[in-house]
Amino acid sequence: MDILALNDIHRSFEPGVPVLGGVDLAVEAGEVVGLLGRNGAGKTTLIHIAMGMLQQQRGTVEVFGLDPHREPVEVKRRIGFVSENQNLPAFLKVYELIDLHRNLFPSWDDDMARRLAERFHIRPNARIKALSKGQARQVALLCALCHKPELLLLDEPAGGLDALARREFLETSIQALSDTGTTIVFSSHYLSDVERLAGRVVMLHDSKVLIDNSIDELHESFSIALVPHRPQGTSDALLALPECLGVRVRSDAVHAVFRLDPDDACALISEKLGVTNALCRTAGLEEMFIEIAGGER
Amino acid sequence: MLIVVDPSSGVPVFRQVMDQVRFHIASGLLAAGDELPPTRTLSAELGVNPMTISKAYNLLERDGVLERRPGRPLVVKALSAGELDSERLDQLRANLADGVRVAKQLGVRPDEAVEVFRDLLENDDKDD
Repeated sequence: MDILALNDIHRSFEPGVPVLGGVDLAVEAGEVVGLLGRNGAGKTTLIHIAMGMLQQQRGTVEVFGLDPHREPVEVKRRIGFVSENQNLPAFLKVYELIDLHRNLFPSWDDDMARRLAERFHIRPNARIKALSKGQARQVALLCALCHKPELLLLDEPAGGLDALARREFLETSIQALSDTGTTIVFSSHYLSDVERLAGRVVMLHDSKVLIDNSIDELHESFSIALVPHRPQGTSDALLALPECLGVRVRSDAVHAVFRLDPDDACALISEKLGVTNALCRTAGLEEMFIEIAGGER
Repeated sequence: MLIVVDPSSGVPVFRQVMDQVRFHIASGLLAAGDELPPTRTLSAELGVNPMTISKAYNLLERDGVLERRPGRPLVVKALSAGELDSERLDQLRANLADGVRVAKQLGVRPDEAVEVFRDLLENDDKDD
């Protein structure tokens, strides 16, 4: 059974301007899915709908086979959630917040909470409002992990953290992954974090899922082609190819992203456009993201 | 173990791990019977998904480079002298692929390219 199943999800906040316009996403147990997309692409909306914090206007959501809107308590008990914009109760002390979670979650693991607090060097007596941004996020992660959730939803969890704090956050999530096989869905603008953690990458663009592939496929079976300008029509001819995900016109060449490995992309361009001097290569996620997000299609 | 990954390089992380293990075996840094770190240790240290490490390990086992014995750590398999030799040459070949591509793009003739390679090898010796 899928841990998370989103089916034809529609949601808009202004009439006629869909944030999500028919999104399908099925996540199996043990998967780690990285959600990509520009600001406003609908990543947070999607995560909030999965949490039952927001209701979709069309389509169905199932988490652990349950409707998060109808059975919010049961679903939330089995989810861990951390967000960049999460507000922890500022006047509580750390141990009071932990007590609160222990009482809310029957599956709370005190040993784990103690180990994580030590690892993060968090003083139980510290007031939440006195914590640095990085420490507050670590407390949020502790609260999200110690009830051993089956699904971890992380909405830009590393936003605003320094490089070391990000790495520690990542390592802690990775440990949870190896220890309990937690399923993780996370959004991040740090694409190298996505490359480290995600097994699968889903990119939201123009209110739909544009890419849904394993990270290895993205690295090996996608390519960027640099095609020298011809007198005219290069970008239109590229866009007409079904394997082309988007083009970006630069001063000296058209950059095109292909759902093909470099050899096949070059062969296709040569066959369909008669251009034999295109340069095709694989690329990292960041470059791929920029080419797709900044291009037209 | 001496493994580093650069997640942004565009080369899948499992392949980076595989390449480096094979390189260390070919160079003699890892010898027959040497143990590899458990999946969870290596994945935590490198800060990458454990599935990525187990994928690399499984493929190396399939390729006959590593050996898994029930309940014991994964170890480097014993290779014959001949197999080690061809492993070393395979590594060199893989690392020269970029140079070959550049030589072709620049229109450097094979005999010129070989001369450059010989020259670099000999000069490198002198520096040591």
